[in-house]
Formats: sequence, structure tokens, C-alpha cells
Amino acid sequence: MATLTKPVPAKDEPRRPNIATGDVQLPAVRDYEQVDREIIGTLHPTVAWFIGLGVAVFFLIVGASAWMYQIYNGLGVAGYNPPVMWGVYIITFVFWVGIGHAGTLISAILYLFRAGFRTTIYRCAEAMTVFAVMTAGLFPILHLGRPWKFFWLIPYPNWRYIWPQFKSPLVWDVFAILTYLTVSATFLYIGLIPDIAVLRDREKISPIRKRIFAQLSLGWRNTDREWRHFARAYLFLAAFSTPLVLSVHSVVSFDFAMALTPGWHTTIFPPYFVAGAIFSGIGMVFTIIIPLRKFFGLKHYVTINHLDAAAKLALFTSLVVGCAYMNEWFVAWFSGNEFEKAFFANRIWGQWWWASAILYTCNMVLPLSLFVQKLRRNAAWLFIISFTINIGMWFERFVIVVPSLSHEFEPWQWTSYRPTWVDYAILCGSFGWFSMWFLLFIKQLPVIAITEVKEIVPPKLRLAHPHGISPSGEHFDFEADTPGEHD
Amino acid sequence: MRGVLAAFHELDAAVDAIEALKKLKLGAITVFTPTPRHEIEHALDQGPSPVRKFTLFGGLAGVTCGYWIAIWASDYWPLVVGGKPIASWVPYTIFGFEVMVLFGALSTVAGLFITARIPRLTMMVGYDPRFSHGDFGVWVECPPDKARTAEDLLREHGAKEVRVER
Repeated sequence: MATLTKPVPAKDEPRRPNIATGDVQLPAVRDYEQVDREIIGTLHPTVAWFIGLGVAVFFLIVGASAWMYQIYNGLGVAGYNPPVMWGVYIITFVFWVGIGHAGTLISAILYLFRAGFRTTIYRCAEAMTVFAVMTAGLFPILHLGRPWKFFWLIPYPNWRYIWPQFKSPLVWDVFAILTYLTVSATFLYIGLIPDIAVLRDREKISPIRKRIFAQLSLGWRNTDREWRHFARAYLFLAAFSTPLVLSVHSVVSFDFAMALTPGWHTTIFPPYFVAGAIFSGIGMVFTIIIPLRKFFGLKHYVTINHLDAAAKLALFTSLVVGCAYMNEWFVAWFSGNEFEKAFFANRIWGQWWWASAILYTCNMVLPLSLFVQKLRRNAAWLFIISFTINIGMWFERFVIVVPSLSHEFEPWQWTSYRPTWVDYAILCGSFGWFSMWFLLFIKQLPVIAITEVKEIVPPKLRLAHPHGISPSGEHFDFEADTPGEHD
Repeated sequence: MRGVLAAFHELDAAVDAIEALKKLKLGAITVFTPTPRHEIEHALDQGPSPVRKFTLFGGLAGVTCGYWIAIWASDYWPLVVGGKPIASWVPYTIFGFEVMVLFGALSTVAGLFITARIPRLTMMVGYDPRFSHGDFGVWVECPPDKARTAEDLLREHGAKEVRVER
């Protein structure tokens, strides 16, 4: 958690530090006061923010209205067509759980590995995780015929004298998702406490806000005792979150892999799902952080070096996911199982060929462009790629869910599936729900971790800096996002 | 509680002052820093945090509870399948693991709250909002007759502001 004083690189030193290690620098950030001023400055609401919030709430209302319509008329209004009884809701559930994986990966796993580039993006990713899991958690309930009975999945003594079936993957899911949501939210809040204390101390206008921040910061005072125990607790939370990230999507994959359905019943699903989840999560981090750093004027915090490092992670997970896709085909061929072979042939050449084409193009082909350093360091290209990753990962889940159920063992069972307007409305509503929470978050709490950024800013020193840097720090320009941007 | 509080703009000045105060043995020292710094940790030379004990206890309690709830519920409401055990430890490992993580994480937070003494309803004597901004604060508890010595020492080491608090 804590850091030792490090020199700012001299002007003639290479401008690209190895930020895959803890050696990360923010050359355009001079002192602690600047960090407070600039990050707290992002909290003032703007017209664009109100418009964004309005759009998000509109989509949420559309989704909520569709759900009410579904509750009144029954699940038949969704596009289910037996035996395709899992559709857009389960696809979107897995999609949002996957989105929720990058946050904890960046905040916990990269923390344990001391990857410096996480520092300025982890808060955003962590908040994204909590809101994505909150969104995902709605879908199993939306998918229930009688959603008001959802609490039957929770084990507690009851008048029915019955308990959940602990051998069912659906019950495993409940435990995994609730644990993940609780631990992720706790991790986010604990990391926020020192930052909320900064907001408490800097709030000069609204006594109500000051009081709320005072309550939320729990009386944090920045003492050495607090920092010592905080650092240790944060480390242990990160250590617990790391296997949790790997376990949650493994458990989600068991929902499929425990069934005998062709295309699902395979042992590769847990690592395949985890890699896909991290890939999709990083895609969403790009979708969120690239506009944020532009509109909030934070390009000197989330530098192009940070984006470059995160893009390498996206490329790596894309390769892992691509390897898993190819492995699926290989296993279907090598197993000699006629049903598996027929299913995978149908996946590529059958009625869902277009969905498979979108999936492979977005997840395997386009991310290969990230091998080119110029594209990795081009924020506009990364934003475009992040969109295609999001689309590709939604279609990955579509290709897993729908073709398998619509093309099982018996030809007389083979059928089709077409989502209805209710499915689409609820899908849009989920984006509205997620965006609403995220937009509210970014204007109430700092989207970049203030105290962690201060750790990588050189502190003021009384004596001359050992590397000849002046006590007030040096100020370098940050690199342009795209060649020629500053010209 | 009575003592002397000093505010430093520079990290090295604060570290020097802490080391000098430790040599004088005036009383307990509390340091306020905007962000955790190893230099301060090294100067104070404190032992490891006991938070890990809470984590261990919570994790062990969680794994026990996770297995127990699944095994107990299966025995209480048995779903008998021929040739299969009523309580099967393999799938129940998922519950053991998930509840271990849940209890371990929550007990870690409880450990943080207990050891760091938060939440606090009031700020302690000597806290200044500058210490979450950019300045480093050093608070040393000392009797009134030693206050002057502490003040002089802190000023000598570059404190920008020194005041006696009670």
C-alpha cells in the first residue's frame, strides 16, 4: 500500500516506464494538492451529465415497464420457444457477471502483482463491478415465472420445512453471486474510506454533504495506526477477492457444464468462462474510462501508458478466449461424439452462423489489431475495439445458450428462437440501470483513487531530491492520445 | 490528552522529527499522512498488524459454516437418489469456499475497524483537515513541562506550524 519516494524521470530519460511493475509515474501531476483539486473538481454536475442520467433513467423506465408487463401477462411474452427456455435473460445475466470480473481483477489481482497501471483505473473498474453484478443479479429473478418467490433460493429456517437443493448449480450460483457482490462492494467501500475523508475535509459549501461524508468516512483521520491496519486489511481483501474472481464465473459456467446438452457438457467451460469474463470486463473498462478521462480532463492521470498496458491484457485474454474456441472445435472432432460434431457444424454453418460470425470476428479477429503498438496507444481505436468486444461477448453467450438448446439430441426437438420486444426492452433497461448507478457514482465519489494516486506522486522534500528534481516536482506534458493531437 | 502538534510540508522533515522525538522518549507519537508512506513506517518501526488473525478466524469459521449448512440441510431434508450419498462433499466444497471468502472478508473488515479504532464519532485532538490534503502532521503526547522541549525540537526540524493542544 505504502510507497517510498521515487524520482520523477529526467526530461531526457525514456518516457515510457515499465508500468507492468510498480514503476508507474504521472509526470504531469506535481503535488498532493493538485491531485485533490483536479479529482474533486470532477464531482461538479454538468449539463451533459444530467442529459446522460436522463437517458439512463429513460431506458430503465422502459425496461421496468416491460418487466411489469411480463409479470402481468406471464413469461410467455418473452421469446421462449420450448425447448429454448433460456434466452436473452440468461444471456444477459452471464454477460453482466462477466463485465463484473474486470473490476476485481484490476483492483485485487493486479494489486497483488503490483501492476502499477491499475492505480488510476481500478476505482472505476471496481465501481463498474459492483453495478454490473447488481444488474446481473436481477436477471435470474426476471427469468422466474413467479419472481416474488426468489427468496426460496436462500437457505433459512422456514414454515415450509424445505431447504434448497445444495447439489444444484443454480443454488451454487446464488451463493457465488451474493458472495461476490458482498465482497466487491466491501472492497470498494473500504478503498473509498480515505478518499471520502478527503472529500469531508475539502467540502466547504454544503454542510449536509460534509455531514454525509463525515458519516461515510467513519471518522477516518489518516493516522499511522489507521494506515498500517488499512494496508493489511486491504491486502487480505485482495487476497480473498482473487480466488473469488476465478470461482464466480467458474460457478456460472457450471450452470451449463453440468447439463448433458451438446456444446455445454465440457470441462473447459470454467477457464473459458473466466477468460471471457475478464476479456469482456476490460472491454467495458475501456468503454467507460476513455470518455471519462476525456470529459473529466484526466488524461494526465489515466495516461496512454495505462491504456496501452490494459490493452495488452485485453489482447492476452482475447488470445486465451480464441484458444478456447478452437479447443471446443477440436474436442468436438477428436471426441468422435456425433452429437457434438453435428452441433458444432450447426453452430458455424447452421441457422445461427451469423451470430457465430459476429462472435469470432469481434472476439478473435479484431482484437489482433492490438498487436500493433500504434493502435494500442490510440484511445479512439481502443474505444471502438471495446464496443466490438462488448458486442462480441454478448453474442458469445448467445451462441452458447440458444444454438445448444435449439439443436439438442432429437431432431424433432430442433426449433428456433426469436427474442420479443419485451426481451429487447429489458436488455435496454439493464443498460439504463447500470448506467444510472454509474453516473450517480461518478458525481458523488471520486472516480480515481485520490490517496493511491498520491502514493505515486513524489512528496515534497526539504532537501534536494536525490535525482536532482526540485522539491516542487517537475512538470512534463503528457503524451497525445493520437499522433498529432497536440499539434 | 495533552501534547504538541506540528505540521510539516515536507516528508523528510517529518521523518527527521519523528526519529528525534523517539530518541527523546517524550510520549506516544501519532503521525498524520495524506497517503501511507514507507518512510514513516520505517521511522515509527511498529510491529505487524493483527488484522491477519481476524482474517484467519473468519476464514476458518466460514469454511466450517459453509460445509455445515449444506450437510445439515441435506440430512434434515434428504433427497434420496439410489447409490448416491445424501451429503456429498464434492459439490459442498463450493459452499465451503464461498462462505469462507464471505466470512473471511467480513471479519477482515471487522478486524480493521477494531484495530484502527473506527468508526469514530469525533475527531481526535490535534486532527487538522490539512493532513488529508498535502501536509504531514506529527502529534506527540507529553506533560506540560516537556511541551516546550517538544515544540523547539519540532521547529528545529522544519515544522511550519507548532501548537500545544489538549
